[in-house]
Amino acid sequence: MTGALTRATRSTSDFVETVGSMGILTGKTLVSAIRPPYSYGSEFAEQLLFAIRLCWFPMIVASLCFSYGPSGIQAANFLGLFGALDRLGGVFVVAVVREFAPLVSAIVMAGVAGTAMCADLGARRIREELDALQVLGIDPVKSLVVPRFLALTLATGLFNFYALVFGTLGGALVTITNGAPLGPFWATYFSNATTTELWASEVKTLAYGAIIAVVCCYKGLTVSGGPEGVGRAVNEAVVVAFLGIGAFNYVFTQTLLATHPILNVPR
Amino acid sequence: MSVAAHLDNFGRYLRFCGRVVGALLSLRVMRFFGEALRQAGILITGSLLVIMGLVFILGLQCGIEGAYGAASVGAPSVSGAFTALCDLREVTPYAFGYMMAAKVGTGMVAELGSMRISDEIDALEVMGFDSVVYLAATRLLAMLMVLPFVYITAVAVGFLGSYIAVVQQIAQVSPGGYWQIFWQFQNPVDLLYSALKGIAMATVVVLTGVYYGYFAGGGPVGVGRATAKSMVANIISVHVIGMLGTQLFWGGRPRAPIGG
Repeated sequence: MTGALTRATRSTSDFVETVGSMGILTGKTLVSAIRPPYSYGSEFAEQLLFAIRLCWFPMIVASLCFSYGPSGIQAANFLGLFGALDRLGGVFVVAVVREFAPLVSAIVMAGVAGTAMCADLGARRIREELDALQVLGIDPVKSLVVPRFLALTLATGLFNFYALVFGTLGGALVTITNGAPLGPFWATYFSNATTTELWASEVKTLAYGAIIAVVCCYKGLTVSGGPEGVGRAVNEAVVVAFLGIGAFNYVFTQTLLATHPILNVPR
Repeated sequence: MSVAAHLDNFGRYLRFCGRVVGALLSLRVMRFFGEALRQAGILITGSLLVIMGLVFILGLQCGIEGAYGAASVGAPSVSGAFTALCDLREVTPYAFGYMMAAKVGTGMVAELGSMRISDEIDALEVMGFDSVVYLAATRLLAMLMVLPFVYITAVAVGFLGSYIAVVQQIAQVSPGGYWQIFWQFQNPVDLLYSALKGIAMATVVVLTGVYYGYFAGGGPVGVGRATAKSMVANIISVHVIGMLGTQLFWGGRPRAPIGG
């Protein structure tokens, strides 16, 4: 009994410590990104290309599947019962722009690019390259974390539009497979789309990107414990990133819906 | 990497899966039943909580969208119809698949990969153990023993999340009214279909995890890289299974109590 209690206390304090350290890393990264010199330009471009090269194909598959399956087939079935398949466009604004495009971008970025960056940083840690950098007087946060943070955030934000395009394509595909014309789909899609929806989707995705980047960099920088260490760090990074994304999504979406009643008006 | 190399890897993966599944179906894995039980225990104590965590959060999300969506057409009381479809058919399988990939799949790569690079797998072979049966097939058996129960629990946790969001938080519908619509829009066959989808995802995740771990190489760095690569494969396969499952089970067949 006391053993279980001690364990629970220790894991709680570990958790608080980890969250605190991630907050400190975020602060350091932001300060170091703004303060000159801006020596991280080339590394930033390299990481951005790296993330895009890794993610473009999984992103197509994931966003097409996600919009064709859940929002497409289920919503088309449901609307078809009322003979209102033309409203599918309106459903897709809510489903894809508000929820699935950001979620898919984040899941793919965390699972594909985030894990790769975490493994890369972890490898540098256990090869003692990070210590070597510090000995040389180079700040690892400025030279490694800042470019990765900016690249991952920007790439996630850009991939949101990409997921949005392919997600909407999935909706059009469902409309065609149901034998309905595409005209009404686009009509309800564009009459329901609002600018608020789009910027909210983009802000949400950028924040997801920042969460993923901080978690993956933190876990990569703090790798320890022998040959299993890097693998375990990648494992923990992706778990924490997924939970963080979910928690942020919950808070953000309901704040948005409660403060912007225009989003709840079907047109 | 060229297309030929990808195909080559995929063929190797399929052959490995064939060996693992063969060991399971021919019951050779039963010689190591104790190990399978131990793995099942690890699965429950180590991964149950985070899987439930993600399912719960996405259940809340379904509830929020359902409540606002139903209120926007002036019928808050039917938010149960949305959450029933959202939770049971789509979000729970996906959340389950994601967390299985993130927690269990990558965990297996890290564990088996570190055994591979510290030559423990070779040591097993030298001692006369069939390492594929002992390491891979036992994990698959453990997963198949435990996951149906874990999945049902996850569905319940997702339902709870939606209930909290719709009834307690947005609070535009009474508990009785919510549950009535909610239960009308699902039946045990839907639960079976949903579970089949989730278990198929989990099976692929475990097979991918043991494959990448078993064939890891290149020192501790290689293990990390293999872990990251397994995640790519898992993300693609979870989404493809999710889509095919929906098309197979519900494509053109609404299974909803509306009309004739």
